[in-house]
Amino acid sequence: MSLPKPVMRGLLGKRLRFHLPIAFTLSLAAAIAFKYTVTEPRKQAYADFYKQYDATKEFNAMREAGIFESVRPSGE
Amino acid sequence: MFRAVFRLSATGARSLARSQQCRLAPVATRCYSHGKVESDEEFDARWVTYFSKPDIDAWELKKGMNTLIGYDLVPEAKILDSALRACRRLNDMASAIRILEAIKDKAGPHKDIYPYLIQELKPTLTELGISTPEELGMDRL
Repeated sequence: MSLPKPVMRGLLGKRLRFHLPIAFTLSLAAAIAFKYTVTEPRKQAYADFYKQYDATKEFNAMREAGIFESVRPSGE
Repeated sequence: MFRAVFRLSATGARSLARSQQCRLAPVATRCYSHGKVESDEEFDARWVTYFSKPDIDAWELKKGMNTLIGYDLVPEAKILDSALRACRRLNDMASAIRILEAIKDKAGPHKDIYPYLIQELKPTLTELGISTPEELGMDRL
């Protein structure tokens, strides 16, 4: 029983035509998923933090803690 | 920002579609909009002729094989027959066996190609006294 002739041309082309669109789609999906599960929540967290941020109050708290050299706590 | 992404991906998709056209022709056809695409038979005949040169030298044999291996195809039995006879003219048993190893590798995951080619080349291999890598135990690590 002799073997039939298989397809011997264009094998890589066929594989790429199948796999490349899938690869690009999955990569794009991964990037979109990362954007909306990681970077957007992160940006929102920063925005929420700074919405109510009082720079002067924080500065005075640090001053009283005595960490600055240029301005000493109000007690001294 | 998303509009920029969509614009880029649209052009990317279009150029990918354009290059898909060229990939349909597996071998050395350049992506001209003019110019004839060579048929499979013409391609095969050209390579059979290349290896049939009576005074082919070792460099031309190696160059021919390396170029042939670069294409997106497994060479036809008649091209390989011509190449093996060129090896015989050059007294190069090593290259003959290497050609068999190379076509097995070119077939990749398609395991039906190599047995078929060995079947087709069996008369030539017997006539020229070429052993296959399997017969020599060279197909295992």
